[in-house]
Amino acid sequence: MSTSNSSAAPLVEMRNICKHFGGVQAVRDVSVDLYPGEVVGILGHNGAGKSCLMRMLSGAMIPSSGDIYLDGEKIEIASPTAARQHGIETIYQNLALANHLDAPANLFLGRELKTRFGNLDDKRMFEEAKGVLQRLNPNFKNLSDPVVRMSGGQRQVIAIARAIHFNVRALIMDEPTAALGPSETEMVAELVQKLRNEGIGIFLVSHDMQDVFRLCDRVMVMNNGRNVGSHKISDVTQDDVLSLIIKGSLPSGWRPRGAAA
Amino acid sequence: MRVFGSSAARAALVGNNGLSIRADMLHRISALVTLLGLIIAFAFLNSAFLSLNNAMTILLQTAVIGLLGIGLTIVILTGGIDLSVGSVLALSGTAAGLLVKAGLPVPVGMGGGLVVGTLCGMVNGFVITRLRIAPFIATLGMMMMARGLALQLTGASPVSQLGAAFGWLGNGALFRIVETQSNGLPRMVFPGIPYPAILLLIVALAATYMLKRRQFGRHVYAVGSNEEAAHLSGVNVNHTKFAAYALSGFLAGLAGIVLMSRLVTAQPNEGVMYELDAIAAAVIGGASLMGGVGSISGTMIGAFIIGILRNGLNMAGVSAFIQQIVIGGVVIGAVYVDQLRNRR
Repeated sequence: MSTSNSSAAPLVEMRNICKHFGGVQAVRDVSVDLYPGEVVGILGHNGAGKSCLMRMLSGAMIPSSGDIYLDGEKIEIASPTAARQHGIETIYQNLALANHLDAPANLFLGRELKTRFGNLDDKRMFEEAKGVLQRLNPNFKNLSDPVVRMSGGQRQVIAIARAIHFNVRALIMDEPTAALGPSETEMVAELVQKLRNEGIGIFLVSHDMQDVFRLCDRVMVMNNGRNVGSHKISDVTQDDVLSLIIKGSLPSGWRPRGAAA
Repeated sequence: MRVFGSSAARAALVGNNGLSIRADMLHRISALVTLLGLIIAFAFLNSAFLSLNNAMTILLQTAVIGLLGIGLTIVILTGGIDLSVGSVLALSGTAAGLLVKAGLPVPVGMGGGLVVGTLCGMVNGFVITRLRIAPFIATLGMMMMARGLALQLTGASPVSQLGAAFGWLGNGALFRIVETQSNGLPRMVFPGIPYPAILLLIVALAATYMLKRRQFGRHVYAVGSNEEAAHLSGVNVNHTKFAAYALSGFLAGLAGIVLMSRLVTAQPNEGVMYELDAIAAAVIGGASLMGGVGSISGTMIGAFIIGILRNGLNMAGVSAFIQQIVIGGVVIGAVYVDQLRNRR
């Protein structure tokens, strides 16, 4: 099932990333790679630095030091717009939707389609939004309602559609299933598989161990701002990962699961 | 406090039958009904109320609050507030008056007034987006500074004898028909549509177009709905806010030259508390002070409700003090009715 292969070049490389706020060191010298078609789970307890690390990749935060490479080339991600121009899209945990705008307006927010005269092309945005939203959820109807009136699942669909509609190459999903029911969680799982097959790299920030073991090829565990372990999912058990999350180290006497078998 | 109901309530209102009546539409309809009710009530109280002359007077009187209300609607949509518009109106108007008094042609002097208003708005925008001062505080400071500057520049006395040309914008009218009677005195056949009312219509249409059809307007609503989300979506939040305050300043300047032109005198004391009338117009028209909800058409209805209340109560001989009490009640009532409807 793993389509990541070590022979391909990494899509995204984050090298020696540090972030401090005054005297507080939120991320300490973290390096992590993401290959095309690979799903990497980012784990750690609250405040371990995983969201902070991802925010630096999505352009919402700027690293204090360290470098980010895309296709082997160093890039500067100074803003969310810059990240999106590089094909790095993010689905935020709180979904980051503008409540009083409708679905198409949210989907195209910040990159609105315009007519020749520079007016908003609401008709074309509506048609395109309808296409992508109904592909994700055929029951998606009331597109023109403000999203504040929509269900949690519908809002999630809009946030996903916004991330995958524009030539995404690397996708950051921050707790994508935290607020969802079973069928919607299943939809997200299928989507992750589909995007992986299309060669898109995915960072999956999650607390849900089942999701992580079902969807990820690799896990990277953060503890106290550090990367305390990056492992193939086939090499570790849930207990190993829990140990990394809580103690910051693997259980004593640990050997890769694959090697033991 | 949420002024305009919860999502659940709005959803309940709409139902699932596709025959949805939008809550904001409903608000506008109810505001319009209130407006019509007022007109009918005042028409019964005083037969002169429904005259063409009085209609034109109301248009003229509402134009100033309407112009300020449009600027405030844009600012309120971003989730901000602009308390300085009354003072900026006074400063812009007196600046225009002083420039004309200094010998500049009227259009240039008035242009100078617009520049002063826009600059005040830009200072507001700078203080809010760069110095990160809350809009309430930033524009409160500007309210005091602009008023102080207007009083200082004029020595607190009105600037008069500005010439007939200065009064053209505020007192002129389109299609005005005046005939000379046999005794040599002029008689007005048709008062015409006052230029300030035409100006208000043009500005209202332009603002509606900008808010509904242009990217800037979309971003205004987005910033007011969820500033963080707008930023993460690549909306330039600071740019959007700055432009909103600059526009509000420009419209305050425009309202200032219209008002001073109508008086043919630059009055540094004019426009006190106008900002509150303008905010009231926006709120009666359905704008939420939380941002993201509101419209120009709603604010126009709100401005006319206030204008007609003032005019009608005046004609009915109700004192200015009682008028304040009534309008205050209407503001609270309008928001309360809106909440009730959303709760249902």
